[in-house]
Amino acid sequence: MIGSGIKRGTAELAILSVLEEGPLHGYEMARRIEEQTKGALRFTLAALYPMLYRMEQRGWIRGTWETGPSGRRKRCYRLTPAGKKKLSPLRKEWAELFGALKRLTKVLHA
Amino acid sequence: MPDWEALVEKHLADLSLDPAERAEVIAELAAHLEESCEELRRRGTTEEEAVRRTLSQVEDWQDLRRRIQTSRTKENIMTSRVRQFWFPSLLTLLLSMGLLMLIQFFGPNPWIAARRSGWSLIAPVAVIYLPWLFLLPLIGAVGAYLSNRAGGSQRIMFSSIVFPVLPYLVFFLLALPVTALFNESLGHNIMFLALFVGLLAWVVAPGAALLTGGVLARTFLSRRSDARRIVSS
Repeated sequence: MIGSGIKRGTAELAILSVLEEGPLHGYEMARRIEEQTKGALRFTLAALYPMLYRMEQRGWIRGTWETGPSGRRKRCYRLTPAGKKKLSPLRKEWAELFGALKRLTKVLHA
Repeated sequence: MPDWEALVEKHLADLSLDPAERAEVIAELAAHLEESCEELRRRGTTEEEAVRRTLSQVEDWQDLRRRIQTSRTKENIMTSRVRQFWFPSLLTLLLSMGLLMLIQFFGPNPWIAARRSGWSLIAPVAVIYLPWLFLLPLIGAVGAYLSNRAGGSQRIMFSSIVFPVLPYLVFFLLALPVTALFNESLGHNIMFLALFVGLLAWVVAPGAALLTGGVLARTFLSRRSDARRIVSS
């Protein structure tokens, strides 16, 4: 069964997926998601940070302040073990939704 | 280029988080906007246009403030408090009460601390279950570990460790004196010294045992995380 929170789940999936590659700060995360989805998914500041804070509260990601080579302090997020655990059912749910939509559109165009 | 931090602070003036947390949120959002604007400038956008496009990321600052507030406080209260305080507290309470019951049923006789007059004991009498006291540090350590793992502060951690003695504290400081005031038969037999002995045997001693375990666990956990930090750096 596809969960009711699938819409929010896609945003969570996108964030968890990019963080699986390594720790990133918010701006870099948004840029990476936009690049990798060829602009199909865009996170503005207003959409990104409440989502990050919520995911951090749930213990899926952890943010720590780090100083970059330019001396600027940035909050870097990384996946926690709980976040890694969450990623695989989210991927499955998303694949299920795609499969269902694919079957549906095939029936409609048959 | 605008002062991004001042700009975010102005727009999120109503954000009611504790000062350190609020400063962190403002610094993080400002850094994002600054980087976003710099990126646009690197691509050749004029400064005015870069600032305009950067600011267009937030259409409604009040909505953003509300969403940040919700994401950082509602779940915080619902989950962090439960994980950091209530879960370790209730577990240590359950374990210590369960252990006491087991010792009372199956364990050795308690140690009775009282003055004697021939064969009879003179009040105040303290009934002390020594195996219970010796095992309480383990329960304190479990509470400290759980609270520490959930990210609880030192204050929250120690509160959850001593939680099992709170019912006794309430009993000796509140319930017993109030009962003594209104119940004449009990009032005649109760002594101030008995209250003190009861507090010592059922609040101070178990509290100290729980705290000993908690402090040892806390020291061990902080040493382990220090060692991890050194290795990772």
